[in-house]
Amino acid sequence: MTAVLLASAGTSSFPVLPALVVTPVLGALLVMVLPRRRPELLKLVAVSTAVVTGAMSFWLLSAFKVGDPGFQFLSETPWMGDLGVSLLFGIDGISLFLVILTGLLFPVALLAIDPGHDARPYYAWMLLLEAGVMGVFGALDLIVFFLCFEVVLVPMYFLIGRWGHGNSARAATKFFLYTMAGSALMLVGILALAFLHADATGADISFDLVAIAEAQSLSTGAARWIFAAFALAFAVKVPIFPLHTWLPDAHTEAPTAGSVILAGVLLKLGTYGFLRFGLYLFPEASHYFAPVFLTLGVVGIVYGAIVATMQADLKRLVAYSSVAHLGFIILGTFALNTEGIEGGLLQMVNHGVSTGALFLLVGMIYERRGTRMIGDLGGLQKSAPVLAGVFMVVMLSSIGLPGLNGFVGEFLVLLGAFNAHRWWAVAAAGGVILAALYLLWAYQRVFHGPAEGDNADMPDLGLREALVLAPLLALIVFMGVYPKPVIERMEPAVDSLVRHVEFHVDGFSEPVSQMGSEIGPLDDSHGEHG
Amino acid sequence: MLGQYLPIVFLIVLAFLFAALSFFASRLLAPRSPNDKKEAPYECGIIPGREAPERFPVRFFLVAMIFIVFDIEIIFFYPWAIAHGEMGLFGLIAVLVFSLAVFESFVYLIGNGALEWGPIRREAQTGDVVSATRTTSTTVSRAGIRQVGLEGRTGGDS
Amino acid sequence: MIAALTTPYVAWWALVPLITFAVAGFLLLTVASLVRRLPAVLAPAWTAVAGLGVLLYLVPMWSRVGRDGADSFLAGTVGVDRSSIFVTGILAVAVIAAALISRDYLPREDLPGVELYVLLLMSAAGGVVMASANDLIVLFLGLEILSIAVYVLAALHLRRIESQEAALKYFLLGAFSSAFLLYGIALVYGATGSTNMVRISAFLAQNVLVDDAMLLAGLGLLLVGLGFKVAVVPFHAWTPDVYQGAPTPVVAWMAAGVKAAGFAALMRVFVLTLGTYVSDWRPAFQVIAAATVLAGAVVAVVQTDVKRMLAYSSIVHAGFILVGLQAATDRGNSSVLAYLAVYAFLTVGSFAVVTVVSGTGDASHGLDAYRGMGRRHPALAGVFTVLLLGQAGIPFTGGFVVKLGVLAAAVDGGAYWLAGVAMLAAAVAAFVYLRLLVAMYLEEVPSGTETSGAVPLGALVVAVASAVIVLVVGLVPGPLLDLARDAVPVLVAG
Repeated sequence: MTAVLLASAGTSSFPVLPALVVTPVLGALLVMVLPRRRPELLKLVAVSTAVVTGAMSFWLLSAFKVGDPGFQFLSETPWMGDLGVSLLFGIDGISLFLVILTGLLFPVALLAIDPGHDARPYYAWMLLLEAGVMGVFGALDLIVFFLCFEVVLVPMYFLIGRWGHGNSARAATKFFLYTMAGSALMLVGILALAFLHADATGADISFDLVAIAEAQSLSTGAARWIFAAFALAFAVKVPIFPLHTWLPDAHTEAPTAGSVILAGVLLKLGTYGFLRFGLYLFPEASHYFAPVFLTLGVVGIVYGAIVATMQADLKRLVAYSSVAHLGFIILGTFALNTEGIEGGLLQMVNHGVSTGALFLLVGMIYERRGTRMIGDLGGLQKSAPVLAGVFMVVMLSSIGLPGLNGFVGEFLVLLGAFNAHRWWAVAAAGGVILAALYLLWAYQRVFHGPAEGDNADMPDLGLREALVLAPLLALIVFMGVYPKPVIERMEPAVDSLVRHVEFHVDGFSEPVSQMGSEIGPLDDSHGEHG
Repeated sequence: MLGQYLPIVFLIVLAFLFAALSFFASRLLAPRSPNDKKEAPYECGIIPGREAPERFPVRFFLVAMIFIVFDIEIIFFYPWAIAHGEMGLFGLIAVLVFSLAVFESFVYLIGNGALEWGPIRREAQTGDVVSATRTTSTTVSRAGIRQVGLEGRTGGDS
Repeated sequence: MIAALTTPYVAWWALVPLITFAVAGFLLLTVASLVRRLPAVLAPAWTAVAGLGVLLYLVPMWSRVGRDGADSFLAGTVGVDRSSIFVTGILAVAVIAAALISRDYLPREDLPGVELYVLLLMSAAGGVVMASANDLIVLFLGLEILSIAVYVLAALHLRRIESQEAALKYFLLGAFSSAFLLYGIALVYGATGSTNMVRISAFLAQNVLVDDAMLLAGLGLLLVGLGFKVAVVPFHAWTPDVYQGAPTPVVAWMAAGVKAAGFAALMRVFVLTLGTYVSDWRPAFQVIAAATVLAGAVVAVVQTDVKRMLAYSSIVHAGFILVGLQAATDRGNSSVLAYLAVYAFLTVGSFAVVTVVSGTGDASHGLDAYRGMGRRHPALAGVFTVLLLGQAGIPFTGGFVVKLGVLAAAVDGGAYWLAGVAMLAAAVAAFVYLRLLVAMYLEEVPSGTETSGAVPLGALVVAVASAVIVLVVGLVPGPLLDLARDAVPVLVAG
């Protein structure tokens, strides 16, 4: 199967996906050997490494074959021969935009915020974090995926703990332990999956995602158990409603760059995991458990919105708004139809851009005013009109105003959910209204009204800050107005995933047609190249 | 098969019987007139005037331990001496390895002065080796707080 | 009548590691007894060279055994296979590391004498015997040579009352466990008519015991005796006290070397010799493994003394190794060996750092001593971070690779619940390592703490080398896994 995939990789011989992982690691090593007392040099190296990585990820966009639902840019290196683990990388329309999002947000976060102290380890950890995230989105081997999924904890732990505010050590430890405990059983699940698959097919032990997912060799019971182990790990990482308590703490105590990356990229690891490793590996179990996740997703939307309304801390408010947004993504994913999944996927990117930008803006206000308490702020519009305007656009995108990116995603999610599970969609739509409530209310309190004291003479955005925010703003508008380039790249992969799920679920509610070509993409490539 | 062991069993039983008989016989037959002097642990007719001295040259223990080592060596040597012809070169090598290990410990003991008697290195004691403040009680109390060691000594003790 | 003794076949080439350790200790003791005022560097250098020599010799030995197959000699009482070579290699590494750490430790603590090195070498010789024993009596001999030396080693710090306490506890409990082991050997002998492992396994393969109560009792007692040496629950209670009290370099040897030899013995006795009774002992092993990982992890969390923390974490590791061992498959055995190797590096490196931090008197083992270490000793703290993350089993460290191995062995054998319990315990144990990381990086340097001086070379070399190896194994696990796979133990008749 792998050999077949490699054959279909075709175009480029340069292993661009491993390079996306290796480049930041090399950058981190380079940073560590540079002199400690030259922060500007350190920053230059770190930012340029991230920019190079980002450029490579954007190059993927141009080289990506539109309309191909299979994996592209495949590369494979044997690693642990005895266990059949190999460094297998490849992306499809589902992971493409998450890779690009990662490539975009890291330079932005690095450029926008200076660490303040201990610059050298800060940049090194940031770059290692980027490498880990790229590894997660690119990995097609279950063990390699797990490795990267786990290893991002370490840099994030140090980033929150060392450069955070307040009781950051506690928040960092909580974050680490929650996610590590959550994913503990996933490793057992991965091993069980691979060994059961090997037993059933008689093949050598292998952790090749595509081979295992296409074979679907497990019994229903075993698949449901293993799916539960996977789902727990992803649910903590997303986080889904009752497991979300680490998130507000981690967001609030993290440094601004940490929050940006955490919200923009790390939370996507869980939702991406559900798509790639939940639905694809366990279509039947995903369908079986879907009501649970739909319910929890809706609960998350409403709960997140209500709690966000009551927050006095601007950063905490944004953090809880993330809980609500991620509820939408879960809702879309488990609608198990093309619209829902596509909307969820779009929403992942949108949330990364919008919430990333929101955290940046909150960080900028905090840098100027030394406080994030809504009560202490007010009337900032007068002293900083540009900042207020940018904040307004980003906030509206987060609310889901038509014409901005958030609308497209939320609309598709609701459409998909409505087709599959009407009442859940209705409840979720209430969450959209609540989002408008808490964000507009917060905006009003922070930016309108009379400006008193320090609020009156707060400096506006500087050139560097504007430069950093510009690409995010551009994306927000572009994807809101013209989402087609994104959707047309996502759609084939999402379609084939949905058909994969439908094919393997008995009595799926929607009629299934053309059974023969359901697992088509891989067989097609086989036909062409094999 | 087990019949071979019967004499040994008899011997053991006899030994026990003899000991028990003697014990009870003396209890029954001996005249008894207890008093303090006779009840003392070491009955010699004189009541001890003070507690037995607690300081006791540790060297005696060392000698006893060294003795045990060589005692065991004899235990191994004896059967070898009886059967060395049959055991041949292999037996010789084996017993050589063994005795080498025993002598090694002997060398170590001598090297560390385990068998040096009398005042140690009189020539080194040019001044007061023990300070005036150091007495049995201070040493003991210091041992309690784990400070036994270099304090109390003057000059570079070799 | 005494029949003429036929000289047994001796494969001298296979005895070289054992003889090297024993003779090196022997000569060192003799020279030190005869010559006053040896240069201080001689003993550690000598010990390390002996370990290095053994390590180098193992290379041709490895290929010879690969070519000619495993061998057994001295009337079938000693065997040499690749697993015994592998474990000997671990022992040699632990000896080298302990010697290097001690090089600066002994002068700092003002403990003259070469006894530590001599006992280290002797105990390594005992470990080699254990790893290549083909007979239960020889196994016991090796165990005693190893243990008695370690009892003395634990007491080596004359001025620390804890050291004396540790030695006494270890000695008393160790003596009990030896008695259990011996009784177990006696019962197994009674049930099978031999103490030779090959003959026992052949006997059990050919005969079905009508009444196997005696054998099972013997098996249980063997498990108690060996379980004590490797410190699995419920025979672990001595570990924290002894680790806390014993001199830190000695603890490095105890954790890395003694454990490796103990698990090698467990593997030979249970997986190889009593393999036909696997369905009888596996449930016991599984329960013990689960209890060990859980108890070790949970209790480690509440420790305040770093040496005790590491002691409990070593208990967790022992549980993980049992998780691989209970599978009783080739995959399980090789995963155990790989785990032992990486674990050896993790512990010697960690205890090298602990030795440095503890300061004169070997006393400061509280978390306070580690506060702000990231600022005071960035290099040392960085190395310690790698080692701790390795112990926690974070990806891209050797710790993850070997944890994956034992879990894969357990899952392959169908012990899903055990693998799950072990992973949850690993998550709990991660908190322990995080506490140390928090202390090193996230807490302020206590005021008045001076910037500590230079890090002693020996300990630094050990710590850095261990961290590098742990990272390399994590990134390129192939070579180690291949070695461990080829090191599957076998029993051959003499």
